[in-house]
Amino acid sequence: MSNTQSIAPVPIDQIVKATNILQQSSAPKFGHELLPYFSFKQGFLNLNNGSYGALPKVVTEACNELMAWQEENTDFYYRIGFIPPLIGVREQLAQLVGASDVDELVMVPNASTGLGVVLRNFLWQCGDTIIRCNTTYATVYKTIQYIHDVTPGLEISEFQLLFPTTRQAILDGWQKHITNVKANAPQGQKIVAVIDSVVANPAAAMPWKEMVKICKDVGIWTIIDGAHSVGQEDLHLADCGADFFVSNCHKWLNTKRGAAFLWMPKESQKIMLTTIPTSASYVTPGPDRPETNIVSQFQYNGTIDYTTYLSVHVALQWREWVGGEAAIHQYCNNLAKKGGALLAQTMSTKVMDPNGEFTMAMVNVTLPFPSDFQAQYDASVGTALIYGGPESAHKSGMNDFEILGNALVTICSEIVSEHKSANVPQNCKAVSFSSYLEQPLKGAVALDSNNGIGAPRPVTSTKVTLVGYHTQLASIRP
Amino acid sequence: MANVVSQYESKPPPFGHEMRKCFSFDPEYINMNHGSYGSLPSPVAEAIKPYYALAEANPDLFHRFTSIDLIRDVRKRMAKFIGAAHTEEVVFVPNASHGLNTILRSFIWEEGDIISSCNTTYNSISRTAEYISDIPPHPEVVQFTLLFPTSHSEIIQNWRAYVRSLNEMRDQSAQKLGRRPKIVAIIDSIISVPGALLPWKEMVKICKEEDVWSVVDGAHSIGQELDLNLAEANPDFWVTNCHKWMYAKRGCALLYVPKRNQHIIKASFPTSHAYKKGGGSNFVEQFEWNGTIDFVPYISASCALDFRAWLGGEHVINDYCHRIALEGGKRLAQILGTEIIDQDQDFQFTLSMVNVAVPFPPTMSSAFEIDMAFRRKLLIKRKIYPAFFYHNGKWWIRCSAQIWSQVEDFEVLGQAILEASKEILEEFGDGTEKKTMGIEDKVEKVN
Repeated sequence: MSNTQSIAPVPIDQIVKATNILQQSSAPKFGHELLPYFSFKQGFLNLNNGSYGALPKVVTEACNELMAWQEENTDFYYRIGFIPPLIGVREQLAQLVGASDVDELVMVPNASTGLGVVLRNFLWQCGDTIIRCNTTYATVYKTIQYIHDVTPGLEISEFQLLFPTTRQAILDGWQKHITNVKANAPQGQKIVAVIDSVVANPAAAMPWKEMVKICKDVGIWTIIDGAHSVGQEDLHLADCGADFFVSNCHKWLNTKRGAAFLWMPKESQKIMLTTIPTSASYVTPGPDRPETNIVSQFQYNGTIDYTTYLSVHVALQWREWVGGEAAIHQYCNNLAKKGGALLAQTMSTKVMDPNGEFTMAMVNVTLPFPSDFQAQYDASVGTALIYGGPESAHKSGMNDFEILGNALVTICSEIVSEHKSANVPQNCKAVSFSSYLEQPLKGAVALDSNNGIGAPRPVTSTKVTLVGYHTQLASIRP
Repeated sequence: MANVVSQYESKPPPFGHEMRKCFSFDPEYINMNHGSYGSLPSPVAEAIKPYYALAEANPDLFHRFTSIDLIRDVRKRMAKFIGAAHTEEVVFVPNASHGLNTILRSFIWEEGDIISSCNTTYNSISRTAEYISDIPPHPEVVQFTLLFPTSHSEIIQNWRAYVRSLNEMRDQSAQKLGRRPKIVAIIDSIISVPGALLPWKEMVKICKEEDVWSVVDGAHSIGQELDLNLAEANPDFWVTNCHKWMYAKRGCALLYVPKRNQHIIKASFPTSHAYKKGGGSNFVEQFEWNGTIDFVPYISASCALDFRAWLGGEHVINDYCHRIALEGGKRLAQILGTEIIDQDQDFQFTLSMVNVAVPFPPTMSSAFEIDMAFRRKLLIKRKIYPAFFYHNGKWWIRCSAQIWSQVEDFEVLGQAILEASKEILEEFGDGTEKKTMGIEDKVEKVN
């Protein structure tokens, strides 16, 4: 056999050519001019980036190249090839989020996994307390519930967060709550608080660093669900004081879905025994186990497609090209505020956070339901956006928020009348996503016979397809 | 799912090197280790592109509705494929390790409980059992010893004696504890290294007779083991990787839990929004959404089955691979002057993987460095690579025969191994002098 050139690890930029185009041109302005750089269906107005993120075409193409590379010599990829680029990605993210060392940051598929693996590594005991909020994200909320259910004597303490409120009111309430929990907790038992940096529903940037300090001052562990943070806000984790921080890269950082990071400073790593699933490099705790063993465990713990993690490299290049983090944050923040106000005006309702103290790139506006209907169903809608704007004119001359507002007015009145005619029982609550689909809440959705797929579709109007409006009727997640 | 793929209108290439047209390997690379990570056929990569486009065309619609419906349909197809009695017994997980961890972590472990693994259990699963034992209440890990050469009937005999001994241990604990602990046995359907089919159905049956939970690691089964019928085999839990022998995109695996056992699975990982205490009643729903991932690999399982149907179906594929494994293995053993690990006259252990001994003296070190040296010399330098492992006093190679393989590949491999092992003997010595590295390291992971 001819002895051809041997293979060696290479950096991502040698594998990915799709980003070359970024060097050859300059980025358009923020706004609708950037829409062609994404793959949204013509006419689909994406105002919900916060749920699943959006992949720029350049990153899609780069991922195709990365996936092709994975197939060329899969043994090489999984035993050798993926490692240097993955470490490179971790270094880039560590720098972006202000970690003090790359070995404080590992990749996980999503925030739910990152938070789940941290919570399940604690050795829970009778007398321990976990603090969550009513607004804690469903998978995390339920993880805590699960831990409670399998740990006799473990207490859950739930902090109630109700909007509208103010940052100061939250901090005052939190201080009271923490003092109370600490006073009632058995001596020597641990207390762990899960704090959102940005609540998902409603979308609200929290004073999480202050909340962390309040906990830290009395020896309470802090785990931050920062799912929405990276790419939407500046992070300086080295001095944030938290014990753990998790964020999704596929929400606001434009990476392929299935990429998130878990930040855990060296002290925190001491409680981390294992990944989930457990890795072949797991070592029983003891003198034989190296200090950074948990970090190496996260490198490989079951076969996955590393393309999602490696896409961080490309996503960061793209974001740099469109203007960089600061410019992106500023644009989205301004637009969220202006757009939210316009939306509220169009629907004759209110913005939840008129001062803007909770607003980054997401804004919440009340739906135009009659007040008695509202009381029954506690409906609200959260809108999130990237590239739509008052500056660049839409074809019909209206901007994205006006379009949405008009659509919602139509939809909500349709819902109310269908609800009345369907004789839906009062205070009807669906227990789960699938039962939501089966419940006689036909007013909430209309069957779309054109689509061919059996599930009911939300009512559509104009060119806006509204999905997943957040109500208590369904446990659909944003 | 209406998914007309124009590439299936023409006839497929013949099995053998021409089949490489359907894959996207580096033309200089001879893939003899499909068993570790699988390989994605180009037609399947094409067939899933529309789903990626859908995911980006309207991410909300795709993730809230479309993908959920699509995956339900695929689950139906997969349940039928593995002979599950109900679609509701089959859910997707990212990989077998994830599925097995979900099961093992779901048991409420108590003092006196026993986790049974095997010296041939896949390394991350062995570590999982160790981890569970390392934390309170410290269930005990007991290991079944399986050494080749052996036979299916010998294994069954030994397994029966072993499980009975576990029961004796349990009876003793029961006396002290005042209650009866549980025994959970991890059984490979097909061992990873050596790549060998076990009489797992008989082993499961013995578990049932002895009141022992059977957790079957079927990572290598689907697509390699023919005519799966889980309703008949009736294991307590069963997990398989679709991205290994079935040509799905990584990571795609199935977790099978018969209805009678769904109450054991307390929660998915990560926990679902649909979690409720007592589990069981909404098993499927708890696995429908466990955090945002790339869902297309789950959908790709169906596309992979379309591809395999186009090739002629499961029997056609596996008859070829099996034949090449045996012929190739024998040829390789001839070239190396060694033997195939499967000494059973009917080659009961061999499906599409064959294991041949490396020509080293019996004193050769078992150190991890030997594996690494082979990796450098074969994978990097010569662009051909089988899995390496140390078992029962010898180094072995595990080859995966696939639809692109030919016996000639085993001849090329044979020459490469002869050269490389000579080099390694010179570099490391034959083990009779002082050991190179001092401590006998654990051999590193092989999938």
